Amino acid sequence: MKKLVHTLLAASAAVILPLAPALAAPASDTIVIGMSTDSSTFDPPQITSRDNSNIADHIFGRLYDVTAEGKIVPQLAESYTVSDDGLAYTFKMKDGLTCEDGEALTAEDVAYSFNRAADKKNGFTGSTPGFIFSAIQFKSAEVVDKLDVKINIGTKTPIAIGLLTEVFLHCKDSYEKMSLETAASKPVASGAYKLVKWDRGSQIVLERIKPDGGTFKNIIWRIIPEASTRSAELIAGNVDVVTNVAPDQIDTVNKSGTAKVKSVQGTRRMYVGFNLRKDFASTPGGAAIQKADVRKALQYAVDVPSICTQLLNFECTRATGLVNPPNDNKSLTPYPFDPAMAEKLLDQAGYPRGKDGVRFEIKMQAPRGRYLNDANVALAVGQFLTDVGVKTTVETLDWTSLYTPLVRKHDAGPLFFLGSGGALWSAIYDMTDLAEVDSGTNYTSWNDPDFFGGWKDIQNAKTPKEQEDVVNRMLKVFYEKGPWLLMYFQPDFYGVSNRVDFQPRRDERLHVFDTNLTK
Amino acid sequence: MWTFIIRRLLQSAIVIVGVTLISFTALQIGGDPTYLYVSERASDAEIAETRVRLGFDKPLYVQYLTYAERLAHADFGESLTHKRPAIEVVLEALPATIELTVFSMIIAIGLAIPFGIFAALHRGTALDGGIMTLAMLGQSIPNFWLGIMMMLFFGLNLRWLPISGHVPFLMPLVQGHFVQAIVSLPQAIYFLIMPGIAVGFYSLSRNARLVRSSMLEVLGQDYVRTARSKGISETAVVIHHALRNAWLPIVTMIGLEFGFLLGGVVVVEMVFSWPGIGRLVFNAINQRDIPVVQASVIILALVFIVLNLIIDIIYARIDPRVKL
Amino acid sequence: MSTPINAASIDPTTDTGYFAEKRRFREWSRAWKSMVKAKWPLLAIAILLVVLFAAIFGPLVSPADPNRQNIMLRLADPLTVARNRTFYLLGTDGLGRDIFSRLLYGSRISLLVGICAIAVGGAIGTIAGLVSGYFGGWIDDVIMRIADIQLAFPFILLAIMFLVVLGPGVVNIILVLGIGQWVTYARIVRAQTLSLKQKEFVEAARAIGDRTSVILFRTILPNVVGPLTVIASFNVASVILSEASLSFLGLGVPPSVPTWGSMLAESRDQLLANKWWLAFFPGIAIVLTVLSFNILGDWLRDFFDPRLKQTS
Repeated sequence: MKKLVHTLLAASAAVILPLAPALAAPASDTIVIGMSTDSSTFDPPQITSRDNSNIADHIFGRLYDVTAEGKIVPQLAESYTVSDDGLAYTFKMKDGLTCEDGEALTAEDVAYSFNRAADKKNGFTGSTPGFIFSAIQFKSAEVVDKLDVKINIGTKTPIAIGLLTEVFLHCKDSYEKMSLETAASKPVASGAYKLVKWDRGSQIVLERIKPDGGTFKNIIWRIIPEASTRSAELIAGNVDVVTNVAPDQIDTVNKSGTAKVKSVQGTRRMYVGFNLRKDFASTPGGAAIQKADVRKALQYAVDVPSICTQLLNFECTRATGLVNPPNDNKSLTPYPFDPAMAEKLLDQAGYPRGKDGVRFEIKMQAPRGRYLNDANVALAVGQFLTDVGVKTTVETLDWTSLYTPLVRKHDAGPLFFLGSGGALWSAIYDMTDLAEVDSGTNYTSWNDPDFFGGWKDIQNAKTPKEQEDVVNRMLKVFYEKGPWLLMYFQPDFYGVSNRVDFQPRRDERLHVFDTNLTK
Repeated sequence: MWTFIIRRLLQSAIVIVGVTLISFTALQIGGDPTYLYVSERASDAEIAETRVRLGFDKPLYVQYLTYAERLAHADFGESLTHKRPAIEVVLEALPATIELTVFSMIIAIGLAIPFGIFAALHRGTALDGGIMTLAMLGQSIPNFWLGIMMMLFFGLNLRWLPISGHVPFLMPLVQGHFVQAIVSLPQAIYFLIMPGIAVGFYSLSRNARLVRSSMLEVLGQDYVRTARSKGISETAVVIHHALRNAWLPIVTMIGLEFGFLLGGVVVVEMVFSWPGIGRLVFNAINQRDIPVVQASVIILALVFIVLNLIIDIIYARIDPRVKL
Repeated sequence: MSTPINAASIDPTTDTGYFAEKRRFREWSRAWKSMVKAKWPLLAIAILLVVLFAAIFGPLVSPADPNRQNIMLRLADPLTVARNRTFYLLGTDGLGRDIFSRLLYGSRISLLVGICAIAVGGAIGTIAGLVSGYFGGWIDDVIMRIADIQLAFPFILLAIMFLVVLGPGVVNIILVLGIGQWVTYARIVRAQTLSLKQKEFVEAARAIGDRTSVILFRTILPNVVGPLTVIASFNVASVILSEASLSFLGLGVPPSVPTWGSMLAESRDQLLANKWWLAFFPGIAIVLTVLSFNILGDWLRDFFDPRLKQTS
């Protein structure tokens, strides 16, 4: 019997040991990126998630591009003009562009890319038709001549050009032939790389088709959902760049000697919303936060810089409003952490502590696993509020359970923790969350006329300076009486192996066109 | 025999209907799924239109009947997030999960038998104690924790095994690329070791203890004592007498084990970035991608049913007492 | 797993009065002796008593509020003394909560979840099994088909689906984990009932004209309790582990409710960072408890099954 066991052990060792050399660093013409979610489609108008569009950015070209610093620069287009009424944008395309299959990319293809995305028959639900087109009220795209294309929109807005830079372009002939299903999984590239392999749930492999398109011949995007696994793969040297390093693993990565974590202040605005809808006022907590004084008092109760350093492993400056620096109102200073002040203001607002030390009770809803350390940040905020006598119960939910039935219908709260994507290129872009009292994204149902009245003045502003003044005035109102408990701009942590010189950017875009091997 | 199979198939059909019904209702209690398929800033009109287009405006039973009718034509619907036929999405993820489940089953049953027998033959010794203590521990450790610890220790610190990832073996095999499949087999196994252990360790522990105790029971029987007293070697006794009697419980075990191991797969696939059906369906549930959830649940139920049918038939073949 | 269990050695129709008292006493003393002889079950019971004590009196001995955070003192080592003289015996977690207090409170919820889930599953399963085995016919068919459906449906998927939809909560977890267990009980009780139904004492009870409910719960049920306890003690262990896995997927109890499973799951990011105490203490608590239940289950099985006892 013993012999049998020994033979078994020896046999299994003989089978397994020779397999060992499978582990090796990526080849020198290849960069490997580890991210947490798989893409769902590569049909441009269907793309929604950031991870998905980061890969698509390498496959498809766009009219203009936004640089890491927030500047809008030409990409496949050369220049553009705007009509006097601000409703028609005419782009001049570069000459000699081609798609993956050799087809020339001209004005006709651009118009097709826009119109195809808008075509209701296709039922696209990605961010191009869903967000961009509804924000600019896209009407149509028409060919002027071979290289000129005119985009007609329904509303004059200063952010139209920035939004138009997000639309992916592709060639007409190849896509006209394709079924929607094929288009989703077999894109025909118009950018620097093409898709060569997509092992679902496992990896996405791109190969360079434009010689000057990027430094690496191959880009492999590996899907690694668990944060510990991503960090381990990075430290082991199997992956060059990973996204979303867990804050508590940053030190371990930095000490590994093989990789470093590069952090950037992102543009996503994290806040605790005060839901001001009238029916929430039936609870004591819901009624209390209807008062601007109470909301202001609570701003002093939360130690945002400590939340950043302790829970996010990042030094942050507390936000003063909903606009990303440098476009924010410079005259405002962040609310300091001053619990005594908070208590004083709450006393004055008519909410003294009861016998049990509680002023009023309130519920906070927060997502779990959607933003960096979200559940823990929400719990910490709950503790800070409880400390000044506002007994806060935190409920964490998965994103879909929170967003669809609650946030989306303005039913979350009375307190809710949320993040909203922002941009660097325009203050107004960041403020469109509150474009109207009835905006879908006005999740707090805030309706202060001092703020919302400002939008008319922005439309009527003659000069950028005049516009800036209105913006600053509105931001002041938001700071004083706003519906957000101001928090921070979410930091993003990228683990970068010593092999490459990857530089992260603030806007959650992950581009490796200019990334090089070190030395 | 045939009447048995036909009866079982009829029963299976009822089971499948039940499975669809449960998963359908469960996901519908979650509320109107329309909002998942429009953008954040969509207007009310757009939402209403989408609701009608996707059929979410109809009463529940109508939605279910429409669904069931299409299902009868083997149409599982289109994945709402992938925009491809749900069944295609599911079948792509199935092979990786089958690899993982089968491999962990080999660990859970294949290793349990020698370990159990070994412990039984050396009962009372330190070796027996060691194996049994390990087995007890194996039944007390959550699989995700075991997985992460193994990954950090064997993957990151010792670099013996790959940290995460998957080399396909079944997929090329099914697609007819035999050479590719055979060539990638050693690599595939190499990547399977840690996730396989993480999934199968609990069962391995439980089964090793079961084998040990049933072995002890058999070894105490009169006919084994007789055989021993006749001077037959220990190995021969084990193989001829003891093992032969242990076959039946093992075959039964396989059927139940499959369903059990599948339970560990979701968590372990997350830890080891394994592109299987567990992760797929977990994401689909979170995104309320009902067609994908339905298709995966039905496919898994089918695999389970077919497996158990086969086992019942084998059972009847090896155990003359069972009549079909 | 399918070891035959023989608990029906006592004929319950004669189980009354003085002799019954005496026999019950004899049974208990036999149990005690067998336990002392095997030694391990004693240790298991001792451990479980400690856990039970922690669960009942935990709040009295706990040094701090288990949910009180102090993010400036997060991830403190075990045996840390804070500036305000607070002593952290087992250190603090990612939000600066006292691990020792959470462990004490956690024992309460973990045991509660484990035992209630078994109670739910056991109750549903036992009733289903009794009814199904006793009446047979179409009732049996229906119940067994439902059992088949459940078995064909990977439990974890069912659990995820319901928890995603219903939201996290102690009651929901108990219900889901309980429902996940009932088939095991139903099958065992059904099999036992089928064989007991033919026994004389059951037929006698029927002849006297006892109501069906009396026959089911007074006559048959006491005879299946033995095997049920064996299964239950093994299942408490697996329920505690399932709760941990669900916590890992973010579907466990709400964050304000400490359980060992959720503590272990929350430590996932810290494993790489070598903050071992976050996982170690809840891990040890789970291992010891689960181990004790398993040892107890082993012993119970041997105790109820005289045949096995001779050999081991």
